[in-house]
Amino acid sequence: MKFFESLKKDFNTMTWVLIPVAIAINVVMGQIVVVLRLPVYLDSIGTMLVAALCGPWAGALTGTLSNIIWGLAIDPNAFPWWPVAFFIGLVTGICANAGLFKNLWKVIITGFLVALTAAIVSTPIAVYLYGGITASGSSFITAYLLQTGRGVIEAVFSTNFLVEPIDKISTALLAFAIIQGLSLRFVARFPRPQNIEIQAGAGRTQLWIALGVVVVLILIAVFVLVRLLTPGG
Amino acid sequence: MPIVKLQQVTYHYPFTEKPALQDINLEVEEGEFVAVIGPNGAGKSTLCYTLAGFIPHFYKGELKGIVEVDGVLVQDSDLSDWVLKVGLVFQNPFNQISGAKYTVFEEVAFGLENSGVPRSEIIRRVEEVLQMTGIADLADRSPYSLSGGQQQRVALASILVMQPKVLVLDEPTSQMDPIGTREVFGVIRQMAEQGMTVVMAEHKVEWIAQFADRVIALWEGKIYLEGKPHEVLTDERLVEKGFGVSRYTTTARLALPRGLWQKERPLPVTLEEAVAGFSALRNARRKQG
Amino acid sequence: MHERLSFYVKRESALHQLNPLTKLTLVFGLILPAFLVPFYWTPHLLLLLVVFPLAFLGKVQGEYFTAVTKLILPAAGFLFVMQALFIPGGETVLAKLWFLTLTQESLMYAFANAVRIFVMVSSFTLFMLTTHPSELMSDLTQRGLPGQFAYVIIATLQIIPQMQAKASTIIAAQRSRGLDTESSFARRVQALVPLVGPLVFGSLVEVEERAIAIEARGFTSRRPKTSLREIYDRPLDKGLRWLLILIMLASLVSRIWFS
Repeated sequence: MKFFESLKKDFNTMTWVLIPVAIAINVVMGQIVVVLRLPVYLDSIGTMLVAALCGPWAGALTGTLSNIIWGLAIDPNAFPWWPVAFFIGLVTGICANAGLFKNLWKVIITGFLVALTAAIVSTPIAVYLYGGITASGSSFITAYLLQTGRGVIEAVFSTNFLVEPIDKISTALLAFAIIQGLSLRFVARFPRPQNIEIQAGAGRTQLWIALGVVVVLILIAVFVLVRLLTPGG
Repeated sequence: MPIVKLQQVTYHYPFTEKPALQDINLEVEEGEFVAVIGPNGAGKSTLCYTLAGFIPHFYKGELKGIVEVDGVLVQDSDLSDWVLKVGLVFQNPFNQISGAKYTVFEEVAFGLENSGVPRSEIIRRVEEVLQMTGIADLADRSPYSLSGGQQQRVALASILVMQPKVLVLDEPTSQMDPIGTREVFGVIRQMAEQGMTVVMAEHKVEWIAQFADRVIALWEGKIYLEGKPHEVLTDERLVEKGFGVSRYTTTARLALPRGLWQKERPLPVTLEEAVAGFSALRNARRKQG
Repeated sequence: MHERLSFYVKRESALHQLNPLTKLTLVFGLILPAFLVPFYWTPHLLLLLVVFPLAFLGKVQGEYFTAVTKLILPAAGFLFVMQALFIPGGETVLAKLWFLTLTQESLMYAFANAVRIFVMVSSFTLFMLTTHPSELMSDLTQRGLPGQFAYVIIATLQIIPQMQAKASTIIAAQRSRGLDTESSFARRVQALVPLVGPLVFGSLVEVEERAIAIEARGFTSRRPKTSLREIYDRPLDKGLRWLLILIMLASLVSRIWFS
């Protein structure tokens, strides 16, 4: 019962009006990035905005609908991946509820956790629906890993894990920057303004922590990469 | 008995120190047309949102005093019930399109569907209101394909179709070109003639002078002046406080010390009054000379 | 970047007359067998014997085959090439390129997968060509779907083209100031800023007024909603839906049974 009540609170009229706008932001940003030939997708900015302002379930709904519309109107191959979009919204919302959307380094951690989730969720889809090779450029990496004799699941997951963090962390940072640009009075209309109360604190300290977090993440990535490049594993 | 009753109303938006409305006392009789004027930030929109129930239901914040329409307190009512009594039309016509509908007919029907009105009655009421607002020929068009003035008439129709007891208009023509303004005021004039209770925030004083039974001048969240349209709109104190004043009033005020406006004649607000005044003076001089 | 979101084509056809929910069930009644039935040629047969004839039955063959050539075939074709080249395994080697081996098995696997995607997207395309979004949403709302979902779907379909138009204008303005895809990476990243500004902030700020506008029309009313549109649900529709549900169950069972 308590769950349904909190769900009802998360879906106020502002949420219902924000969701279509957020889906449009997802779709249009996704297309702009292609036009500008940037090496990221940025097609979950809207999802993350909704998740941070209105909670995980609103975020999950936004992600799912965005993916379906993208699949219908722009790229049919995107269709089967809606569970990934669902979890991107859900996990962003959970992180935001836990206070991980309040300053720079926390947002980077959110981005990383979302990337990890996306990598995990897309692995079974890629493996069971596509046999590991999908209609995405990153499948070249998977193909290489398969040639070195790795198992399908390991190859797919490693590929995802290498591709996702840059995109999801940039997306989370952009969403954070957008939220910071909104007025307090406006944000207060949404169900979860407390999620994005900017934490007071020395800006410089936070920047250093943020840099530290990034360095640690890069080290992890390099470690994984080195392990993968050693044939036979 | 007045249909709208505000007593000692003071309101703060969330996160603000200064009240947006302060000690407002206002009663509106059934069938009365009240115009609200005031410079930017005087509290016109806030007053409109208060009457329409969005304060406190949508904007939260702190509301003190009594807000009562048709004998019901705003705090005791759901917003979705309140909007059946008080209809709100505001500035931006584009943002008032629901987005949930593909044609003007469906758009106007949206509020009735939400309120659970049976289909046959929806059709009858929508057709009636489309005729009344002069947009029957647009019924099958997409609301997004219309001009600003047409969109604002769709917004008006969408509210009127719900048959509210009080119509609140927040600067309904401020984003409209002269043609759109005339279209929208044409409908409002008709409402006034049919005896609808209307509260309209508006800075185009020439139009106010034609419709209003009473004018309220707001300044810094308080009622500064109140009275018959001509008394309020030509009051000298408006100028110093930065209210918008009719250019015809200003002209006549400049003409007065030079003997170009008759002293016993009230200052004009509309073009017609100014023309009448200046021609009367000319005729009087001709007789003398 | 163009408004390809208004798929619906107004025609009189047997498919148009079906109840929206029946057509939605039909979509899944095609997708599930295509993916689940273990017989290799299932998706291919479905495409030739069901999907293509349905396009003619719905009198939307022209629009459908345009979508096929522009959207579905390129997507399915790309998937086919990727999989045929990269899926490992198989014994009957047909060709060898660098470190890749093209085998008969991977070719067959890729072919079936591409046709499955083809069937899936085709059935959705046919559904949208013959069903007006308002019709679908009125029907689902009358069956108990909360009205807010209808709002979200239709508002989304209307906002996306508006925002795409805005984005195109901004990009065109950027181009006239010398931005092109050959510009440096930093330049292209910088181009995001003026896009995010008016586009994202502009549309976010509108959210508040739009929320007020729909609340003023009783959006949050708890009374049971009514609908202006009358949606017909004939006995034929009910029968078809049961048949399709049986087909879906059968394909699920066949999958479990034979594996």
